Amino acid sequence: MTLLEVSGVSVTFDGFRAINNLSIAIGEPELRAVIGPNGAGKTTFMDIVTGKTRPDTGRVLWGELSVDLVKMSESQIAKAGIGRKFQKPTVFEDQTVRANLSMALKNKRGPFAVLAWKATAADNQRIVELADEVGLTERLEHRAGDLSHGQKQWLEIGMLLAQDPRLLLVDEPAAGMTPAEREHTTDLLKRAAQTRAVVVIEHDMEFIRRLDCRVTVLHEGSVLAEGSLDHVTKNQQVIDVYLGR
Amino acid sequence: MTMETTAAPQAATPNRSFLRDNPSVMWFIGLLGVFTVIVTVLSEGMGAGVISTNLVKILGMTLCLCLIAIAMDVVWGYCGILSLGHFAFFGLGGYAIGMWLMYARTEIVIRDNLAQGAIPATEQEVAEAVASQIFGVVGSSDLPLIWTFAGSLPAQLALVVLVPGLLALLFGWLAFRSRVTGVYLSILTQAMTLALSLYLFQNDTGLRGNNGLSGLQNIPGALDVPQAIISVWFFWASAVALGLGYLLFAWVVSGKFGSVIRAIRDNEARVRFLGYNVDGYKLFVFTITAVVAGIAGALYYPQAGIINPAEIAPIASIYLAVWVAIGGRGRLYGAVIGAAFVSLLSSWLTGGGAPNVDLGLFRIVWTDWWLVLLGLGFVAVTLFFPKGIGGLFDYLVRKKP
Repeated sequence: MTLLEVSGVSVTFDGFRAINNLSIAIGEPELRAVIGPNGAGKTTFMDIVTGKTRPDTGRVLWGELSVDLVKMSESQIAKAGIGRKFQKPTVFEDQTVRANLSMALKNKRGPFAVLAWKATAADNQRIVELADEVGLTERLEHRAGDLSHGQKQWLEIGMLLAQDPRLLLVDEPAAGMTPAEREHTTDLLKRAAQTRAVVVIEHDMEFIRRLDCRVTVLHEGSVLAEGSLDHVTKNQQVIDVYLGR
Repeated sequence: MTMETTAAPQAATPNRSFLRDNPSVMWFIGLLGVFTVIVTVLSEGMGAGVISTNLVKILGMTLCLCLIAIAMDVVWGYCGILSLGHFAFFGLGGYAIGMWLMYARTEIVIRDNLAQGAIPATEQEVAEAVASQIFGVVGSSDLPLIWTFAGSLPAQLALVVLVPGLLALLFGWLAFRSRVTGVYLSILTQAMTLALSLYLFQNDTGLRGNNGLSGLQNIPGALDVPQAIISVWFFWASAVALGLGYLLFAWVVSGKFGSVIRAIRDNEARVRFLGYNVDGYKLFVFTITAVVAGIAGALYYPQAGIINPAEIAPIASIYLAVWVAIGGRGRLYGAVIGAAFVSLLSSWLTGGGAPNVDLGLFRIVWTDWWLVLLGLGFVAVTLFFPKGIGGLFDYLVRKKP
């Protein structure tokens, strides 16, 4: 079924049309890669879905009830089940890995509930599992700011998984990772995509190939081609866009 | 994937009790208790008489300033909202209790006077006499509407909490909802404070304009108790309030809530994408700290004896931020140290306690030069000791990594 349906969305920044009548549908479960040259609107697409940017026109429909995300705040969208990993790893450097994961855990988010919150055995168990999954078990009590760049990426992925979202939006997850770490990331994303929708923005074609999924090519704010990686890379328009006309 | 093997992870103990996790809280409460006992034993009213009544009052007032300083630390040091308006809430708490103190005492005095007449006075006459006694100074003899409950202690105590709380709630709701942050929010809070102060300066506001409320040190119901005793009572009340406030805030900032508000301070947008309603959290912190500021003010002004709109002027709130910065942001005891150290130093230097320094060509008169010293101190702390005085404790109890 369709989990997320972006239809006819346009956004203009100071006269520049970043997104131009964009329509994309994501199913559940599904793994989808979004590629495109710089300025194609990949990150802006994620900004729109997560409520950071409000589109000028168009609708972003979510879930069985087809609620329009355009009318919701960032935190409401996140609570509805959309998690996002940013291009630049943004973790809370001043706090421990455990505190970072604990904040992301799928629990009540209201001030009073959080004030009264005590970690249950299940919560602690989940934090340990997540830390294990992203290879930070040894680092649980360390400051997130002391982690290496790659480890911060991992922590952010761990936080994303902790939210247990129905849709994961992942912006360049492999940036700054070693080849072994990249491989681990692809495994993790593929595993996550078995039960939920995952959208990955990536530049690295080798990474995309390993994901082995449907690919959407964006160009100048709209969809240029869609299909398997082999299919889209044979597309003459795509070749023109990537190699220059 | 590769994994660094570092020192063995510390024992995973996320469920330990709050006090065991925060030894500094026990230390603080313990020291506060010892200090209270020492002052009591040495006080003029109840002990050896080494500490004068006036000094007991100054120390009690300092404890109230420490209480508002920890509130400021929570809102600024932990949640990242540089509010330049918390002294307005402090002042409002003072006004709320001051209205009762003034009204009730005046009423007692008036009744005594009228009782000497041949005919017993009616309630109407008493009320009119009280009103003209209090408001004669601003050329009025009517009791303003806001004094409706001034005769009732429970009502005015409720207002100590409600007025600052509701003002903070309304102001915060408007500001945070519009996503006003950073320096713009600071300016907005300062504007609120200035507006409130200017409003209170007017004679027809109903709070006696620039005369303010006075005689607050006389407690109705205890008018024949000497100030030496009353000063110790208020000192105790201030110590208890500071202790409870410290416990409350230490608890608030220790758990996941503290984690979330520090995260808001460091990266507000990211917290939104985790699904937290950032505006709600800010509003909660802003309001609860305003309420505590109001309580601190309600304990401070009966010891000071007088409150006037100058107390609410923006400069007071700026001092508050300076205390917290000098003491060390983001740790509650730092705020206490900063407030106590700077305000006591200030009263020593400006109260003529400190000897003036004669440099031959030039004479440093501390009453004039105190602000220069404070300014230099603030700059020095900001540049060289960003963790403030409280940061020194990190060297004492350095945790082995």
